[in-house]
Amino acid sequence: MSGRPLYLDNAATTAVDPAVIAAMTDCLGSDGNFENPSSSHPGGALARQLVEDARERVAALVNAAPNEIVFTSGATESNNLAILGSFDADPRPRRHFVTTRIEHHSVLDTARALQIRGVEVTLLDCDAQGVVTAGQVLGAITDATVLVSIMHVNNEIGVIQDIEAIARACASRGVRLHVDAAQSAGKIPVDLSGWGVDLCSLTAHKAHGPKGIGALSVAGGVTLAPQLHGGEQERGLRAGTLATHQIVGIGKTYELARPERDGPRLAKLRDMLWDGLAAIDGIRLNGCRERSAPHILNVCFPGIEGESLRLALADIAVSAGSACASDDPEPSHVLSSLGLSDALAQSSLRFSVGRFTEPADIEWAVERISAEVQRLRALANGAPAWCST
Amino acid sequence: MNYSPEVLQRFGLPQADGAFPDETEGVVRGEAEDRSLGIWVRFDVRVHEGLIRAARFRLFGCPHAIAAASLICERLEDQPARSLSAIDLRVVAESIDLPVEKYGKLLKIEDALLECWRSLGDSRATSEPGNSRHPGETKDS
Repeated sequence: MSGRPLYLDNAATTAVDPAVIAAMTDCLGSDGNFENPSSSHPGGALARQLVEDARERVAALVNAAPNEIVFTSGATESNNLAILGSFDADPRPRRHFVTTRIEHHSVLDTARALQIRGVEVTLLDCDAQGVVTAGQVLGAITDATVLVSIMHVNNEIGVIQDIEAIARACASRGVRLHVDAAQSAGKIPVDLSGWGVDLCSLTAHKAHGPKGIGALSVAGGVTLAPQLHGGEQERGLRAGTLATHQIVGIGKTYELARPERDGPRLAKLRDMLWDGLAAIDGIRLNGCRERSAPHILNVCFPGIEGESLRLALADIAVSAGSACASDDPEPSHVLSSLGLSDALAQSSLRFSVGRFTEPADIEWAVERISAEVQRLRALANGAPAWCST
Repeated sequence: MNYSPEVLQRFGLPQADGAFPDETEGVVRGEAEDRSLGIWVRFDVRVHEGLIRAARFRLFGCPHAIAAASLICERLEDQPARSLSAIDLRVVAESIDLPVEKYGKLLKIEDALLECWRSLGDSRATSEPGNSRHPGETKDS
């Protein structure tokens, strides 16, 4: 191993693929396509063409039409635009929002912002494996429901929700569906058009692209109120000069992504990790292995204090909970929703593999983790039951 | 969380972790826990002729707590038994750069040591009826 920690935190972010870096770099210098895509001169037209090419590539990966893709700064902005934009565009006095307790904070915090504005919010529970059903969604919809927002792949436990069934449920009541696909695009098939999803948030940096660029897919006929003002870019939905290099970056990222090729490879690595760790006494998987995205494995190590576990494994870059909240001493809201005690939630780690993870990395990680778990458990030998339940 | 070199060293390779076999002569045991603080600690202290010959600990808790218990065990060695009731927590906290929000865990460690001290008194009271000295102390300690 080099002095750098082994990186198993690809659900937090990923290293940018060299081919993406090359494509982006071509847009930056004076001899590249640095011009403003909105400019009318030839350089601007060329930059505009690059932007449109990228739009096509993004649309192709998720089976949407190119003119449905709105570039944003990432999934957090896309989630905000989808949710706030839907409510701001709906003039009804009584309005209702449906989402789940295990969403990313960019959805949950936006839901709280809606509550402050007087919107009624329903937070659906998941089962012990992290699954939310279409029946639950249907049962929560009222005549006042403006929007349902459900994430495709949970960022902490990797559970895949049945978006196709949920979309059917929403459509049966004429309610708009937003899907946060930040963790799924590029890893598993996403079929927005086939499923009938109205709004979908996407990002580049979870799929070996750059940070700071994402997209919102807005299906035809869906009206949104813009949340940024000051320009007519992106059909008036997202004002601001288009960042050509970033957009080219997400385009190249999505062009390189091949869920049918990458998914099975990632799943093999994840399974190798789980099979190795499963030999550790008392270990448990958080989530549902049969419904898990190929790159995420969330594991609980009962009997080991969370902070000690993380320090003991400092040479492996992983996350406790979501990366956005890893410094938070509070247990993960997702793991708590599964029914885990605070102690078990804090004794859990999320491992996530990526394009540059090799089988040898997994072998080494299994050895390291097993040794540290054994050491820390010996140190706590004789501890009361609450330490491991 | 940033850790001092002392914590990193003692967490990675704790000194004095473990326990004495049951029935080891002269060993007293003290234990304390606080679920809300996420700590459980147990000390085994071997006392002979009023002196602490060795101390061992077992602990479920954070790296700072592990480092503190390890440090205390090391410092107790060859000290009078009454040291069990007189640990200077401020010195321990400073030695490991203990964050203020973790002081409660150090108090639990102190509780376990005090339990050892009390156990020592109980055992001496049982074995030496009429001994009016403070628990654990021999006449010349």
